[in-house]
Amino acid sequence: MKRLGTITTVTVLVLSGALAGCRGADNNTGGGGSAAAVPGVTSEPCPQAVDKTKGCIYLGTISDLTEGPFKALAVPITESQKAFWARVNKNGGIGKYEVDVTTYVKDNKYKADVHNQVYQEIKGKVLALAQTLGSPTTAAIIDDLRKEKIVAVPASWTSAWAFQDVILESGANYCVESMNAMDYAKEKYSPTSVMAVHYPGDYGADAAAGVKYAAEKLGMKFTAVQTGTGAETQAAAIQAILTQKPSLVIVTTGPAETAAIVGGTAARGFTGRFIGTSPTWNPGLITSPAKDALIGLYEQSAPWNSWATDSPGHKAMREALSSIDVPNDGYTAGWVWSYPLKAALQKAVEANQLTRDGLLNAAKSLTTVDYEGMLPSGAGNYAGGADGGQFRMTAIYKPDAAGPTKVSQVKDLFVGPTAKDFKLTQPCFQSL
Amino acid sequence: MRGRPLLYTSYASDMGLFNTGAKKAAFAVLMALGLTTPFLLADVELQLLALACATAIGAIGLNLVTGYAGQVSLGHAFFIAVGAYTAAAISGDPESRTLGFGIDNMLIWLPAAGIAAGLAGVIVAPLATRLRGLYLAIVTLGLVFVGEYILTEWDALTGGPGIGRQAASPALFGYHLDETDVFMTRDQKLYLLMFTLLVVFGLAGRNLARSRVGRAFSAIRDRDIAAGVIGVNLPRYKTIAFAVSSFFAGIAGALIYTISGRFDPGQFGLLLSVQFIAMILIGGAGTITGAVLGAFFLTLLPRFTRELPGLVPFIGGQATDTPNVFQLETVLYGVLIIIFLIFEPRGLFGIWVRIRNYWKAWPFSY
Repeated sequence: MKRLGTITTVTVLVLSGALAGCRGADNNTGGGGSAAAVPGVTSEPCPQAVDKTKGCIYLGTISDLTEGPFKALAVPITESQKAFWARVNKNGGIGKYEVDVTTYVKDNKYKADVHNQVYQEIKGKVLALAQTLGSPTTAAIIDDLRKEKIVAVPASWTSAWAFQDVILESGANYCVESMNAMDYAKEKYSPTSVMAVHYPGDYGADAAAGVKYAAEKLGMKFTAVQTGTGAETQAAAIQAILTQKPSLVIVTTGPAETAAIVGGTAARGFTGRFIGTSPTWNPGLITSPAKDALIGLYEQSAPWNSWATDSPGHKAMREALSSIDVPNDGYTAGWVWSYPLKAALQKAVEANQLTRDGLLNAAKSLTTVDYEGMLPSGAGNYAGGADGGQFRMTAIYKPDAAGPTKVSQVKDLFVGPTAKDFKLTQPCFQSL
Repeated sequence: MRGRPLLYTSYASDMGLFNTGAKKAAFAVLMALGLTTPFLLADVELQLLALACATAIGAIGLNLVTGYAGQVSLGHAFFIAVGAYTAAAISGDPESRTLGFGIDNMLIWLPAAGIAAGLAGVIVAPLATRLRGLYLAIVTLGLVFVGEYILTEWDALTGGPGIGRQAASPALFGYHLDETDVFMTRDQKLYLLMFTLLVVFGLAGRNLARSRVGRAFSAIRDRDIAAGVIGVNLPRYKTIAFAVSSFFAGIAGALIYTISGRFDPGQFGLLLSVQFIAMILIGGAGTITGAVLGAFFLTLLPRFTRELPGLVPFIGGQATDTPNVFQLETVLYGVLIIIFLIFEPRGLFGIWVRIRNYWKAWPFSY
């Protein structure tokens, strides 16, 4: 029982120590911030600096690393971004600075409140966010991002990002992607009716809204079925497809759900076509029981070309990530998403405006971003506004056991007539 | 009776809210500490403490029904959701895409959230009067699933899963408590608000527990048949327990999400209920202080685990290391519940009682 005395003393000491870490010490979250101390920019070198004479720019990462629904993609995205910025540092950094994305990596568990908490913890220590994964989670911090002028790279393709200056999104959004999928299908399969099988929310509903718009333009009959997560809960969606017999189904779910839907309907004699948005595919599906149905009926639409593509950017990525055993397109996504932030940082440094304000201005005024061929020239127009700056190209892939990420290209990046004429005036999912 | 603090000459003084001088002094010190904190700590920590205060109100609620009255409820997440959505709808912007009435005075939406959740509790209570133990736990578990389904489908209210809606915005007669102004930052104001409300609801909970109602709760918990025999009206007191507990949960739900500002229906799953159960088990079942301790402990815990990689060398800070801090954060809840149930069933409050007794007898402790 003597220990209780010690416990009390220790507790008192810890508490007084905690209180000593007092207000004012790290109270640079108020916004004002003088030019002398820009949050996340130091003249000391980065912890893993290549050139010790350079200063350091700290970027935060908030991702789904352990128990959330997207961890299979989020971990590759995060790893790929580390490799991307390590390459930037190796090639001379950004002006007098190198970039660190390893010190402030946080797990959001795909929960908005956790996302906000870890964001509050790191926001005084980083210049910008190299990744903020998920839209409901990012929505919890978007007001603060705007207020503090913190530029952030999203890890999702929802159309809502086009309306936020602080968000540096890349590639076509789900809404435009499904319009292109519809145009492609119209040309190749001439379907007469289409069904959107989708998750609720900014991912599934965004794509379904695009399908609805395109169906009207192309004169197809449109129906939509909302479905939940879990391969075992797809019975209602399968039944709806079998009874209504649409000639085309656009799927926006996760990979396991897609396999259940395509496999389940094909097993009961359905022969219509399926096109899934980019997150519906996972290389593991090529060995799943549904593989024959997937190879026969399914294609994937994608916002950019996959891992094995021959472009300078893809090549640099494969070199930087040569230690990876099993490539997947999470790596590709993390890599592509990083280019606009690099361009904005370079612009801000060149203008000698490396502050949050300066970085936001640089980001807003970008008219094009060099994606090293991963996206064509003209992509990354943030000065063009929500509609004018919208990138509208999509590629089509099909399952292929021979490809490194188990897909092969059917059609290179293209813009269909529907997406070309589409005016983005509000986030698509609001109009479903 | 000077110099004999434990000698009571009336029931009133024995049952008093602060029945010893030490309690009075401790309460005064805690109040002083709580009120000076916003001027000592940085905004990040204040926001976390504000969250802990709001969560503690919910934990007190669960402790009233589970810890005091002995009715195991896994449905707490449902009542929290009712409170959160009532408050958000009343204070919501009528122009936005989700249901809103534009009344941002918290003197209206806060009681309304409590009352709505309390009514939901009254509706559920008849189940509690017919079932007990494991059966009650399973039925309240069902409540969480039904609630989750309704919230997922009711897009006009919740904004839909994966999108969510704005939480209630706390304002008093036009003065916004969630905006930084020249006097105080947003987090200072929110902390003070949550701290004040925790004191109010903590005292209310303690008052209830030491009253006739609280004694009836304890009688039901210890043996409901015996309680019935000595004249405790079981249906009545079980209903009161559920109603009051849900009222607290509703208040907590309304407050918790004002801090992060946004929430979506996916948050009100079984996990939330389990977290509240963990709070009262780790804090100490059947005491108000225990519920508060547990809520603070579990809210602040992730923050401390996130600091670990800097202190413990073998725990990695990267997602590709094993073991890493993110995995640790995930398993720690479970490990702590097991450790507490085996080694300290009375929870943090039990540890406190032992420390108190040690110092009471000091230097003759053994």
